[in-house]
Amino acid sequence: MNCRSLVSIGALVLGVAVLASTSVAGQAPASAVKAAPAAKAAPAGKPYTPPKTPDGQPDLQGFWTNSTYVPLERPQGVTKEFYTPDEAEEAIKKAAAREAEQTEPGTTADVHYDFSQFGLDRSQSTIARNLRTSLIVDPPDGKIPPLNAEGQKRTAERAAARKAAGGQYDSVQNMPIGSRCIIMGGSGPPMMNAGYNANYQIVQSPGYVMILTEMIHDVRVIPLDNRPQPPSGVRQWTGVSRGRWEGNTLVVETTNFNGKNGFRGATENMKVVERFTRVSDDAIDYKFTVEDPATWDRTWTAEAPLAKTDGPIFEFACHETNYGIANILAGARAEEKHKAEQAKKGSN
Amino acid sequence: MRAKLAFVAAGVGLLLAVASVQAHHAFAAEFDVTKPLTLKGSLIKWEMVNPHSWFHIAVKEPDGKITEWLIEGGSPNQLIRMGVTKNTVPIGTELTIEGYRAKDGGLKAVGRNFVLADGSRLFLGGSAPGGTPADKK
Repeated sequence: MNCRSLVSIGALVLGVAVLASTSVAGQAPASAVKAAPAAKAAPAGKPYTPPKTPDGQPDLQGFWTNSTYVPLERPQGVTKEFYTPDEAEEAIKKAAAREAEQTEPGTTADVHYDFSQFGLDRSQSTIARNLRTSLIVDPPDGKIPPLNAEGQKRTAERAAARKAAGGQYDSVQNMPIGSRCIIMGGSGPPMMNAGYNANYQIVQSPGYVMILTEMIHDVRVIPLDNRPQPPSGVRQWTGVSRGRWEGNTLVVETTNFNGKNGFRGATENMKVVERFTRVSDDAIDYKFTVEDPATWDRTWTAEAPLAKTDGPIFEFACHETNYGIANILAGARAEEKHKAEQAKKGSN
Repeated sequence: MRAKLAFVAAGVGLLLAVASVQAHHAFAAEFDVTKPLTLKGSLIKWEMVNPHSWFHIAVKEPDGKITEWLIEGGSPNQLIRMGVTKNTVPIGTELTIEGYRAKDGGLKAVGRNFVLADGSRLFLGGSAPGGTPADKK
């Protein structure tokens, strides 16, 4: 069972809503546990007024994380939109305990370094609190809409092309884009929880907002001057983003993706609209809407709050010691050789 | 003391914890689940970089010969945030590595557990030599 599966199953079984950022008995060492900042929300009935930058923009600057246990899609068997605080606390404890469970020696899951030894289990860093049962808020069932006919056809064609290209470990080009250190899901847009090191830095200057993603060191420089998108021939891994302020909300529209890392099966013509609203000193309400008529017959929207965390952001120079690529390919060749020798012995 | 550390104090120090979140790449494709190993040696070098740390360990073979093994660990970013530096684990630190050997048969392994000479696990609960992560903030 791989890590991703564990996460999925954990979410299904536990119906996790949020992870306590406070210390959980039996978990990470006290010295390492980061208490999530208590939201300093405005008094009831009085709307929060965000601070302003010197040039008058609502101030989103600082270090933020979208680390969470809330799954993108609502788990099977869960029908409500929110957990109660008590349910959330219980889910937190169970989820944290699950992260600390031993893996069985001699199993695939055990072939890994220990996340907790490197401070990478979620109880050792800030968590963005959220009582939701899924990040997706629209459609109301909390699920990504089904692929339409065109989306299904393209997905099948992509699968066939991958199969025709050979095994995943036949060549570097066949390996996952994240493993090759090209781009990971944290960059987006939309910005998805990277699993660990799920941190961002936002910096504003007159006319621009900059978002630095720790995983894996991608930057979006977003102009706010209503300039048009570049011609359709200009394509980038993270698309091209244009921003504007609607009251205290930063609205960022991104198009011009290159289609090589299609988000959830989408095409290069996907459009993502993100909304950043600072709702307290320690939280940004982050919503995104995804639109791609060639993939889904309707748009879908998710809310993935950002919680204030400690900086600075450390460089994640992913290629620096990505020895894993060479090791995996060498391992695959060694296995092929071994099997060939075994087959030869068998035929003699 | 927290439960996880209690395990260590009890001298179990083995195979705790868990794969919790997404990994950068498929470790089971890189390392052989059928080749578990335990290595004892001293730290030659720690490549404290991404996407994963690599620990170079000098291991003394039964015949007295010294061999250098490369052990893969986790991204150092959160450790850095917690105050850990290269000086936290001095060259020469004695380590026991419990892990799995590389599929290509080289002197490489994934470090499932990094255990210090006193039985504690590296980086957990301020167990790193030279002080706790919190002390270094």
